[in-house]
Amino acid sequence: MVEGNSGWQRSISQSLLPIVCGLVSLAVFWGIWEAIGANPENPIAQVLPPPSKFLPVLFESDFKIGLGSQSASIYQSVTVTLVRVILGMTVAFVGSIICGLLISLSKWSELFILPILGLVAPIAPIAWVPLALVIFGVSNLTAVFIVFMGVFFTLTIATVAEIKRIPENLLVTAENLGGGNFARWKFVIIPAVLPGVFTLLRLNFIAAWMAVLAAEMTGLRDGLGTVVMTGRNLFNSNLILLGICIIGITGFAVDRMLLVIQRKFFWWKI
Amino acid sequence: MSSHASALYETHQHPILACQNVAKTFHIHQKTPFIALDGINLEVARGDFVTILGRSGGGKSTLLKLLGGFIPPTSGQVLFHGTPLQGITPKIGMVFQENTLYPWLTVEQNIGFGFKVRGKQKRQYALRVREVMEHVGLAQARNLYPHQLSGGMKQRVSIARSLAIQPDVLLLDEPFSALDIQLRRRLQKFLLNIWQETEEATMVLVTHDVEEAILLGQKLIVVGGQPGHIIEEVDISAPAFNDRYDRQFLGLQQHLEGVVGEEPDGIENSRDLATIPGK
Repeated sequence: MVEGNSGWQRSISQSLLPIVCGLVSLAVFWGIWEAIGANPENPIAQVLPPPSKFLPVLFESDFKIGLGSQSASIYQSVTVTLVRVILGMTVAFVGSIICGLLISLSKWSELFILPILGLVAPIAPIAWVPLALVIFGVSNLTAVFIVFMGVFFTLTIATVAEIKRIPENLLVTAENLGGGNFARWKFVIIPAVLPGVFTLLRLNFIAAWMAVLAAEMTGLRDGLGTVVMTGRNLFNSNLILLGICIIGITGFAVDRMLLVIQRKFFWWKI
Repeated sequence: MSSHASALYETHQHPILACQNVAKTFHIHQKTPFIALDGINLEVARGDFVTILGRSGGGKSTLLKLLGGFIPPTSGQVLFHGTPLQGITPKIGMVFQENTLYPWLTVEQNIGFGFKVRGKQKRQYALRVREVMEHVGLAQARNLYPHQLSGGMKQRVSIARSLAIQPDVLLLDEPFSALDIQLRRRLQKFLLNIWQETEEATMVLVTHDVEEAILLGQKLIVVGGQPGHIIEEVDISAPAFNDRYDRQFLGLQQHLEGVVGEEPDGIENSRDLATIPGK
């Protein structure tokens, strides 16, 4: 009983330790920043105003940022960017699994299609921005397209690789239990590749996130990236830092969310 | 399954599985074909428990794969209910040495997999799955996932999964070889119980462990040599061969160990040494 109790305590303290340390380090960082920025004469405070200066910007004018008709509330900006990233990643995830399955149907399609994917995959998603703007104009579709292009090819290659990695006996067993070709796809191959492909999706989220922000800074007229650019156009350091801060927090939150999804729905290992 | 009716009719005339002059050649290098098996003739009758004994790489697993339709013979015929076997079929169940459970499914879902994969609705097979779980003593573990199970439990689930869809014959390829000796003995007993309790259950088990081969089988086949062939066939249905301390059992064990020409199992060996005082 005593042993069980100490083990329970240990597991609690172990799970809390990273959170406590993270919060302490964040608080120290914040404190130093505030201390330096406290003197308005300090040039650093001009370019990097501390959170006590830039956070109140959030509450000015009904949480709205921007000029006139282009102004949008900060919620709206966050939502717009998030919807773009999540939509693009979802389409890419589903599409790449379907494409990966189709490609792995035949040795020839692998030999012919994979080299093309391998060549297209390393193109930085940001590089698609001008092309997307020409094709789709200034619209949400542009952003979704960029996210999709940034993730899709890598994930398709990963799907093909994951299918190859499935132990032969898992497939043979399904056949032995009476499963036909389609049933083996549905009940063995797809569940077997999901965790690996989702892990890669999570790792590629940062790339997709950066791509959408870059698009919002260069071509599009709304979203989180636009908030930062508005700050630049107005020479408003507070707004720039507020935008940066929200980008960081939102990105972190989405990454954690993907981790939770992975642990809840795609936790198994082949 | 157009041959279903005829298969039923032929059931009592033909052995479930039969090999007629079967040979298997592998072409690893184009120029030097490797003859794994040659001139194999054997019959597995309904209700038989056949054990195939041989050293590693001696062709015994190849023989089992031929019997299951996993690979076609190079020459000769493998007959299933009297008709040539056409590839893998759910009527011939297979249990592998390594874990083949689906990690994303619970014990219950794994056991029901043979129904699900054939498009059956859950309500059609839930009862059968529960019945099998009760029978093999897995009812408590029904909601666990494979990674939460021990190696022995995993093999029990694999066996239960194959038995759930009621195959005519169950093939087992070294099912307990990866387990430690205590666990192996428990699972051997478990398998024997299933074989005894299930009416007309037919099993073919491949092993390199002489003791296991004698203990489990009713009929023992030693495969070996180059190219691989049946060296010896022993009828071990007498009750003496169910007792590992019986003199007849030990005599046959000693004889077969000489035939197979392999050291007795490594784990058991080291255990025996450990129990001798002063060594």
